[in-house]
Amino acid sequence: MGKQLTEMLKGTLEGIVLAILSVRSAYGYEITAWLREQGFSDIAEGTVYALLVRIEQKGFVDVEKVPSEKGPPRKVYALNAQGREQLAEFWSTWSFLAQRLEQLHDTETSQQGDNR
Amino acid sequence: MTKWYETLTGSLEQKRQYKQAKARMDGLPAPYAAAANAVQRYLMYSGDVTDGDTTVQMIVDLADLWERAALDGTPVRAIVGDDPVEFTETFARAYDAKRWIDKERARLNKAIDDAEREEQK
Repeated sequence: MGKQLTEMLKGTLEGIVLAILSVRSAYGYEITAWLREQGFSDIAEGTVYALLVRIEQKGFVDVEKVPSEKGPPRKVYALNAQGREQLAEFWSTWSFLAQRLEQLHDTETSQQGDNR
Repeated sequence: MTKWYETLTGSLEQKRQYKQAKARMDGLPAPYAAAANAVQRYLMYSGDVTDGDTTVQMIVDLADLWERAALDGTPVRAIVGDDPVEFTETFARAYDAKRWIDKERARLNKAIDDAEREEQK
């Protein structure tokens, strides 16, 4: 399941991160830590970092530099209007995909039942 | 404003920022300096980004990432994951920059457009 999960996560991680940021603004490490808590134990901090760079480049988030007790300031990401639009699109795409897959799964299981 | 000699030598400001970011990475404690420089080396080889602004932005962002990791004591593997190549290439793709391959991409698209038109005749 590990490898498949990684592959599937790749396509949905942007939506997941946008959804997290729609609840509250956060910095990279907080997002990684939260994902790990949710069971995505293998997720690399760099993966989330690269994704945050991407959504910043695409203009989905506003970035604020917050001074930290040590070292360089932390970049705190907050979802903006464009990001909210993107998130809404993600959820409708997700619903479509989940629905179709569920249908396929149902057909598959009921046919297996008939064959028995 | 671009000074006349910068059209010959490239932007001095860019060079300064690049050097600064590189120095930050070299100044990291072991093993972060080695890891950061390895990622940066791969990025320079594989990333065919042609504009200086993007290159500088990438290096500055990388320096931020590794400096933070060193301060937090995050293990190197937890930063780059199981596949450092994949991480570095994903990181590079985050930047919407001009690439050498763009010209060939445009050429391929045009060839298929032309072929399609031929088909419709």
